[in-house]
Amino acid sequence: MKMKKLLLIPALAVATSTAGASIPINGFIESKCVIQSDTAGMFGNPTVDKLSTKSADGGVMPIVRYDIVTASKYKAVITTPTSFSTAPSLSDTVDWTSTTVAGQMSDAGMSVFNTDKVIYNNGHTTEFDLVKAGSVWFNVTSEAEYGYGKAFPSGNYTALIVAECIAK
Amino acid sequence: MRFIVLLLLLTGGYANAHQFTPTYPELEMSHMAGVYKADMVLLNTREDIRYYGLNVFDKDWNPVRFATASKIVPLDYRERKYITIYISNREVDKAKYICSKSKILLTVREPSIVSSRICSKLK
Repeated sequence: MKMKKLLLIPALAVATSTAGASIPINGFIESKCVIQSDTAGMFGNPTVDKLSTKSADGGVMPIVRYDIVTASKYKAVITTPTSFSTAPSLSDTVDWTSTTVAGQMSDAGMSVFNTDKVIYNNGHTTEFDLVKAGSVWFNVTSEAEYGYGKAFPSGNYTALIVAECIAK
Repeated sequence: MRFIVLLLLLTGGYANAHQFTPTYPELEMSHMAGVYKADMVLLNTREDIRYYGLNVFDKDWNPVRFATASKIVPLDYRERKYITIYISNREVDKAKYICSKSKILLTVREPSIVSSRICSKLK
């Protein structure tokens, strides 16, 4: 009887170790859109009447990254500034122009974002249908021109870009 | 490349991100009669943001009345918060989108700031 019990020990040990090795790892990826502020922009001041985020004008282009887990679930809407959120007192009008394009992308098929984009709100809002999953970096350029060749007063200037992800 | 992106998403490797899930929340009855609720999750990994605003809209983006613990949610860097949105049965047919939007403090003086808004669509 004792012998039988001794024989059972290694058998149980094997069974235990087998059970221990089959612990499942479960995962679930849910559909989601993540917005990341990749690069904070900076205005360059190439001429006295102009502020611009273009690198040719001494600025830094703001870049917003979108991560899309499931294709065709969201649209991206990016609105560029039409006023300063903080600025010195300005006595004349400011004329704003802007562009938003999908630059770097994790999937070459994401180039359709640019071909199918919709622009409205006098060119300040761009809508992209996120029909491909992956990561995409949107480059935003923004230019502000003051009056008719007037010099911007010295001080701090801040403008706001609104990046939205809307479920379809 | 897709695998790397997916791996980064799974491991939460976001440096500066705003996340609001689920994409399609379902409204269900709450513990109060005549009041529906939707459970949402808000994640902040934006170092420059400490507050998010919550809103509910109809299909034409008109505001819909709702209740929650706080319509302005304080959220530290890398903090995740579970949020319950309550909508009365009088408003429930109108409600279409639940949105969270980053709130930028007046003290932030970066030349260009990104305000992020993510909207989920009610089923």
